[in-house]
Amino acid sequence: MSSVTRCGVDAGSREVKLAFFTGKSLVFSGSVDTVEFYTKCRNGGESLDITRLDQFKEAPPVKRIVTTGYGRNKINIIGGSAISEIMAHARGAIWQTGLTEFTLVDIGGQDTKVISVRDGAVKDFIMNDKCAAGSGRYLENIARVLSVSLEKLSTFSEDSATLSSTCAIFGESEVIGLISEGVEIEKILAGANRSVVMRLLPMIKKQKPERLVVTGGVANNEAIIKMLGIELKLEVTVPPLPQLNGAIGCCSCPE
Amino acid sequence: MDRVGITTTIPAEIIFAANKTVVDLNNLFITGLGSSGYIEEAEVDGFPRTTCGWIKGMYSACLDHGIQTVVAVTQGDCSNTHSLMEILKSKGVETAPFDYPLSRDIKMMKASLLRLANFFEINIDKAEHWREKLNIAREKLWRIDKMTWKDGVVSGFENHLLQVSASDFESDPDAFEKKLDSFIEEASLRKPIHFPVRLGMIGVPTIIEGLYEFAEQHQARFLFNETQRQFTMPNGGSNLAEQYLRYTYPYDICPRITDINEQVKLRQLDGIVHYVQSFCHMQMEDLLFRERLDMPILTIEGDTPGPIDARTKIRMESFIQMIQQQKAALV
Repeated sequence: MSSVTRCGVDAGSREVKLAFFTGKSLVFSGSVDTVEFYTKCRNGGESLDITRLDQFKEAPPVKRIVTTGYGRNKINIIGGSAISEIMAHARGAIWQTGLTEFTLVDIGGQDTKVISVRDGAVKDFIMNDKCAAGSGRYLENIARVLSVSLEKLSTFSEDSATLSSTCAIFGESEVIGLISEGVEIEKILAGANRSVVMRLLPMIKKQKPERLVVTGGVANNEAIIKMLGIELKLEVTVPPLPQLNGAIGCCSCPE
Repeated sequence: MDRVGITTTIPAEIIFAANKTVVDLNNLFITGLGSSGYIEEAEVDGFPRTTCGWIKGMYSACLDHGIQTVVAVTQGDCSNTHSLMEILKSKGVETAPFDYPLSRDIKMMKASLLRLANFFEINIDKAEHWREKLNIAREKLWRIDKMTWKDGVVSGFENHLLQVSASDFESDPDAFEKKLDSFIEEASLRKPIHFPVRLGMIGVPTIIEGLYEFAEQHQARFLFNETQRQFTMPNGGSNLAEQYLRYTYPYDICPRITDINEQVKLRQLDGIVHYVQSFCHMQMEDLLFRERLDMPILTIEGDTPGPIDARTKIRMESFIQMIQQQKAALV
């Protein structure tokens, strides 16, 4: 059993993340643009063949594939089965942190999940309402409008300008309005990070967290992690591979 | 025969007693071929995008079907409905006011019933006779409900569709009763299916198509439809006033929570899906349900009519899988 390699595929809207496990060890991982994934893996039939991706030529031969994410039921990968996002992310965070009692906040491109893990199992979860505010997509839009990188955006948490936390689209025009009023870019960037935090807090508080683990692309935003810790007065753990967490969770359990 | 539109369950007995037909505008909207088109029509007429889809759908359905009279619930329904009535009045539609007394006082309820009876120029005793007649169909619906959660021969969607029809009895109580007889006869012959995950649906009836079927594809069946069941007046009563005071939906949330908790226990439910409509004030009640119902709750939001979308599927699948794992851990 331990020599068999399993592959976890988290098929997201922007990127498809892959993790390869042999036994209990993560042996290979990476991500690929979603369009490239579907284009290159298509083998003429209805199923997809991940061995056609150049990035994963070095990966060991895979015997079993588990998928999650929005594409999980639409893609029919050879040798694949699907698990829900909640299960995948909870398992991924358990494997990455070694914790069994925590509240997981996964902030993806369009969905935010807050998952209560107790005794190593999912006890409850909530997801965001029908709005992309407070998601990675919102931060990407703001960074684009202000022509800064996501890395730079993630460094500002102090002295924030007030930004509406209700709409990812109106956020853009609000930012342009602030620039025209002469508000410093640093304050606007801090305001954008703060608006994401304000959007997350009610969801997180509903789960009465005692310890927080944050995953997803937004977990790389140091300003947001810092503000979450201050607002919630909690220790916040970001695992080593926050973006690959779902893919890891797909195959971290050897069964 | 004159048709009288309703926007929520009201004492239909009074309208039938006035020899008029009751038409639930919600049903007219959602079962209409162009239900999405109805929403677009309302928006073209100036309804804000940030208004409940049911309100916009009812507006267009009312005008499209030429409904001349609508019962306006002035207490016990949402304020959006009040504005809808103002707009319909401006379009020449006659409105008959009815209010559910929030104090749940029987004298006030009797006065409300009398006002509605006076509007339709009938004696309230005639409406009481209609109550007895409609109760025959209601009892059949109670039986169908039991065939859902106890016998496992009626699907969650069938349960929803038949019970939700108890607001207007499909505008023809005799034909509806016959339909229920045939359904009971046919369903009784089915092989029972007992699903491993037992769910309940609370909140307003969903605008999303295929939610019930999706759950069943994932080994879960809805065995309780809170609001639809309330439309069948399951708590009875010896007269109209008592019956409509025992109906939980128009009043405060406490009787609803008591009802839900009782049914969760009786039906041995594993989880609750709270359906909320975009832009509906009832979304706020979610926090009270989460505080007072001690079981897994998933909140699903819908806006316009249409098939179940990817984000709802991902939530439903995860919820069902979580319950399956929690149940497996207990074994």
